[in-house]
Amino acid sequence: MKRYGRTVALAGLDADIGPGITGLLGSNGAGKTTFISLALGLRSRESGTLSVLGHDPAVAGIQMRARIGYSPEHHDLPSELAATDLVRHLAEMHLLPRRAAVQRANDALWLVGLGEERFRPVGTMSTGQRQRVKLASAIAHDPELVLLDEPTDGLDPVQRTEMLDLIRRIGTEFGMHIVVSSHHLEEVERVCDAVVIVEGGEVVHAGTLADVRRGPEGLVVEVDDRAEELAALLTGSGFEVTVDGAVLLLSAGDGVHDAVRDAVADLGIGLRRLGPRGRTLEDVYLGVDR
Amino acid sequence: MSAEPGGARLFDLGYRGYDGGRERPARAIATLAAFSARRVLGLGRGGRHKVLPAITLVIAFLPALVSVAFSVIVEDLPIDDLISYGEYTFIIGSALAVFTSLIAPEALCPDRRSGMLGLYLAGPLDRNRYLVSKGIAVFAVMLLITAGPLLFMLTAFVLAGHGPAAGDAPVLLLRIVASGIVTALLYASLSMAVSSFTTRRAAAAVATILLLFVPVSVVRSAIESTGAPNALDLLSFPFVVAELSYRIFGETPDDGAPVEALSTAIVAGGVAAAIAAGFLVCWLRYRRLEAFR
Repeated sequence: MKRYGRTVALAGLDADIGPGITGLLGSNGAGKTTFISLALGLRSRESGTLSVLGHDPAVAGIQMRARIGYSPEHHDLPSELAATDLVRHLAEMHLLPRRAAVQRANDALWLVGLGEERFRPVGTMSTGQRQRVKLASAIAHDPELVLLDEPTDGLDPVQRTEMLDLIRRIGTEFGMHIVVSSHHLEEVERVCDAVVIVEGGEVVHAGTLADVRRGPEGLVVEVDDRAEELAALLTGSGFEVTVDGAVLLLSAGDGVHDAVRDAVADLGIGLRRLGPRGRTLEDVYLGVDR
Repeated sequence: MSAEPGGARLFDLGYRGYDGGRERPARAIATLAAFSARRVLGLGRGGRHKVLPAITLVIAFLPALVSVAFSVIVEDLPIDDLISYGEYTFIIGSALAVFTSLIAPEALCPDRRSGMLGLYLAGPLDRNRYLVSKGIAVFAVMLLITAGPLLFMLTAFVLAGHGPAAGDAPVLLLRIVASGIVTALLYASLSMAVSSFTTRRAAAAVATILLLFVPVSVVRSAIESTGAPNALDLLSFPFVVAELSYRIFGETPDDGAPVEALSTAIVAGGVAAAIAAGFLVCWLRYRRLEAFR
């Protein structure tokens, strides 16, 4: 648990974040940045346990943070410092020897597409370029875990696509585990292997995206009329049915497809949709089980 | 990627992991201290950032240069007629004030304003180590001003044959180092204390100038007009540290300042207390400072 005065910022955040790319999804003020600051050991928690890379951040902060890369949400960086100097300095601060830091700063800036711009002062760069500088700073020291706080904030659609592709590539090809916070569902669905949905300081859902999409077993049926009568017929046949307007959610069971076919034929109504129950990330986020 | 035989080839090595050695966590302190000292001096930055540090260094070294030049040019000039080591801290008081108020805040203020503080603390540094790094940076640059000119003067006098007797040189060297360290520590602590309250260098500069000079006039008028104890003059920081510097060199100024009436133990204690208070204020401010946004 983490409080700010009387405000509870995080409570009941119970989740395991595994390897790969994990999205930390939630609206503004949901507690994403607070979670990242706790994971970095920069804020103390009132209660609960937290383990990052096998260490408690509150105890082993310095050793643990040397193995973590972090890109903050804000874009304020020392304006007159050249991008390569900033990335090299932060790599040295993460305990790389100077020569290695120089080499890897250049490599990281080339990787994020700023190779030609690396000697430009950060203050003259666009928001998109600053986001890339922050990403380069986060990965230059070859961390095990990278924490990216709203890495697409302020980017136009093209830049956003490029940034998401970069994140996906870093997470899949370079052996770094990534936690990326965002309030955009489509970004998380696009690049992440797993998701932790935080709302009001609590975890709404945590798991792989495959689990999210799988959802409960059964059928979803949409008809053009008399949905209540259809539901009554199917309930009479021994199936659990939930009605939501013209949509019926049926539990799984032997002969469920035949039962739907027969009931629809008996009522003489049109069948608009018949398919397995499944969920999108949006369904889970909005609390809809379909 | 292929090319014509004998022609150039480009190889896409792709991303490579790093499996080389890594420094110990203490290295981060040295890295940040060196980086901060360079930034304070304007090194590796644009020309406008170098102007003020350069002017300050010229002001600090000019009396030493003039003294050495006179001793070399004017034959048979009694060395005692030149600036003494003890009065040097008093003479370069303006350079120290300029440096403390206008230049030294560069070490702390911009990190909070630009969000670099959060980036530093997200690495292998905690708040204490961060402040130690910054303290080392400010102290080292201050030491360049407080001890540098005196060391230059001593070296030049020795080389010109005007130096102290062979047996006295080590003692004088120790006094220069001691005076330089004490003066640098006092000004560094005052600068860091003030800088911890604001993210703006201009505000820090104004506050530092007020801290250095307002107590002098207030305290001294109080002592003169109301007969307040001379110990109040310990709040006249530039004059107290200059007085201590005189005493370290075994010299006695005769300006009639209230601090001259105090014992060396009280003057030294006052300077030590001011140094401790400055660093303590800075530490307390940073202990609970919101560094993460």
